[in-house]
Amino acid sequence: MPLLATKYFATLPYESSDCYQFPLGIPGFDDEKQFVLLNIPGKEPLVFLQSVATPGLCFLALPILVVDPVYELCVSTEDLRTLDLEPARQPRLGGEALVLALLAIETGQDATANLLAPIVINVAKRRAVQAIRCDSVYSHRQSLPQLSRSEAC
Amino acid sequence: MLVLRRRPGESLMIGDDVEIEFLESNSQGVKIGIRAPREITILRKELQLTQMQNRAASLDVDLQKLNWKAR
Repeated sequence: MPLLATKYFATLPYESSDCYQFPLGIPGFDDEKQFVLLNIPGKEPLVFLQSVATPGLCFLALPILVVDPVYELCVSTEDLRTLDLEPARQPRLGGEALVLALLAIETGQDATANLLAPIVINVAKRRAVQAIRCDSVYSHRQSLPQLSRSEAC
Repeated sequence: MLVLRRRPGESLMIGDDVEIEFLESNSQGVKIGIRAPREITILRKELQLTQMQNRAASLDVDLQKLNWKAR
């Protein structure tokens, strides 16, 4: 089993089936084409999107329905083609597509989830894109009161 | 915000160097053309927001201090 150097969990073995191709990278990190999705016992429902090429790059994420149970996808035709999904309709959440919201947890601010640009993964083909919505229905900084930071006492 | 009404084929200038021409408009949206010097970066706003938010999301997080409370 291959080994992966990670930002938060030292070196971990991983299944190649957990490794996803991002043909376009992700905005701001255009050269990062491969990520492994880590599910760490005790950290649920958080998941970790760890770059294969850059051990120091790891995003925290949540399944999008955990952030918003009635979230509705709006993936562009181009993104659906990149994902190798049927371009004429929206993918089924939780079925053919795994959809994650990336989290920003900045010092002194509430955690936020990016619902404007979810990570959409075609699980069967192991292809993924960050699918930026063209409408302005959802925020790129949706407040996430469920995730809090305890200060050392 | 400055609000202007323009018809297809009409333009407006931002400063001396940037011209925005309105090409067509239909129920799908508005098509515009932009003439600007090469050194000016032009991005869809949602892409710029996503880049900024991804950089913020890549910063170090102290996992020991994070608590998840289900609603």
